[in-house]
Amino acid sequence: MTRLTIPSGPQHPALKEPLSFQLTVEGERVVESALRIGYVHRGIERILQERTYLQNVHIVERVCGICSHAHTTAYCQAIEALLGLTVPPRGVAVRVLLCELERIHSHILWLGVLAEHIGFTTIFMYTWRDREIVLDIMEELSGGRVAHAVNVIGGVRVDVGPQQVAGILARLDELEAEIENLAQLFQHEQTFQVRTRGVGHLPREEVWRLCVVGPVARASGVDVDLRRDAPYASYGQLDFRVITAKGGDVWSRTMVRTLEIAESLRLCRQILRDLPEGPLKVRAPRRVPAGQVVSRIEAPRGELVYYVRSDGSDRPARVKVRTPTLTTLITLKQQLQGVNIADVPAVLSGVDLCIACADR
Amino acid sequence: MHIGRTLEALQSIFPDAPLAVETWPLDETVVTLSPEHIRPAVRLLSERFKLRHLSTITGEDTGGEIVLLYHFWDGRGLTLRTTLPREGPRIPTLTGLVPGALFYEREVSEMLGVEFEGHPGGAALLLPDDWDDGPPLRKEPL
Repeated sequence: MTRLTIPSGPQHPALKEPLSFQLTVEGERVVESALRIGYVHRGIERILQERTYLQNVHIVERVCGICSHAHTTAYCQAIEALLGLTVPPRGVAVRVLLCELERIHSHILWLGVLAEHIGFTTIFMYTWRDREIVLDIMEELSGGRVAHAVNVIGGVRVDVGPQQVAGILARLDELEAEIENLAQLFQHEQTFQVRTRGVGHLPREEVWRLCVVGPVARASGVDVDLRRDAPYASYGQLDFRVITAKGGDVWSRTMVRTLEIAESLRLCRQILRDLPEGPLKVRAPRRVPAGQVVSRIEAPRGELVYYVRSDGSDRPARVKVRTPTLTTLITLKQQLQGVNIADVPAVLSGVDLCIACADR
Repeated sequence: MHIGRTLEALQSIFPDAPLAVETWPLDETVVTLSPEHIRPAVRLLSERFKLRHLSTITGEDTGGEIVLLYHFWDGRGLTLRTTLPREGPRIPTLTGLVPGALFYEREVSEMLGVEFEGHPGGAALLLPDDWDDGPPLRKEPL
């Protein structure tokens, strides 16, 4: 059969971020694929070396427009470790609350993107409507929908007032009902099953070989979550389940993320009902003593790594950022092998790519 | 991962000198090895200890040398550290042992000009195709 190579991107009507890929097809089947990123490479690691620790909190927040709070959490955790600072319990609670709200927002956003890519526009509309609930809560708390600027070195800058707690809890209940509906729908709706079951298959062994992280790894049966396996912030004292699935396909990834939203809602409730009293932050000096640190957290897409080396001045000598998308991008070549052209968007969105994150 | 047993095993394959071990905050154990020892060490860790998750590779030009940090994780962090000369830095690839190292090595090679011998190659990852300014994370252009 004749082989045809179809170039696509970096500017593309369906994808919101610049990614270029070349698909070689035989008839309707993809036989080969090549990906290229780097179109939004901003040189952030270099920028971080040239600014102070304080200024950098705002830079790392802009690595990603979805999981901005995860980036500042990993970065602040690194600097606090070098300074030997302990964030007060109330500060930790607010920080973790935002982490979980952001996970909910990120996963709902993804559900909508996937639904749109498989032609299920109704679900796209419903999910993005429900996402507003959590965006409103975050805006009320911080003043920002996606860039919250909540974390500072030494703690957080916003508080949750006693009168706010009841309102947030009520809205989380509302959201939970919608998420339960969605979980039922994904479980039973036939059209959805046909478009996602067996699509973008990634076996467990490949996840290990390619060092994949996050919901994509968990959907292939790899039971790993830094919140439980290497507890940071206050996750050691919170009660939650790590969701895994066996299928390793787009359907399993959908179920893992949907059920993770439910777990995150539980976590938010626990934090709001048990908010410790006390200060939100401790004062952090401008200069950081010489030293090195590797900070890992579980961002919505999986393990996020910050490496920081300080030479004793007020600017870092080196900051390395490894975002989870870089680990899942590598699996696309294999996942695209042999799929139908019509399934390519489902495979691409299935891993929850964040190109701005991967490019930095 | 039992860090004591891991370090003992590493010491046993490099018996000539005591292993240079340090600890960083947030529970990271760091072992400094010579460049030719990285591959055998990773082979031992992945085959005997099932230490399969390479979080990333950090490269840094300190001005005097190129430092490479291989950050592994299995419940806690283990970083293998090595240094290369600034002139013509090269080290064997890990992609045969840890296929997930593919993009990490390519990134270090683009940003710092380190050659990973035996790396399968491929198109540029982050830099533009017509980039001709030298590796951007070098202290001063080569």
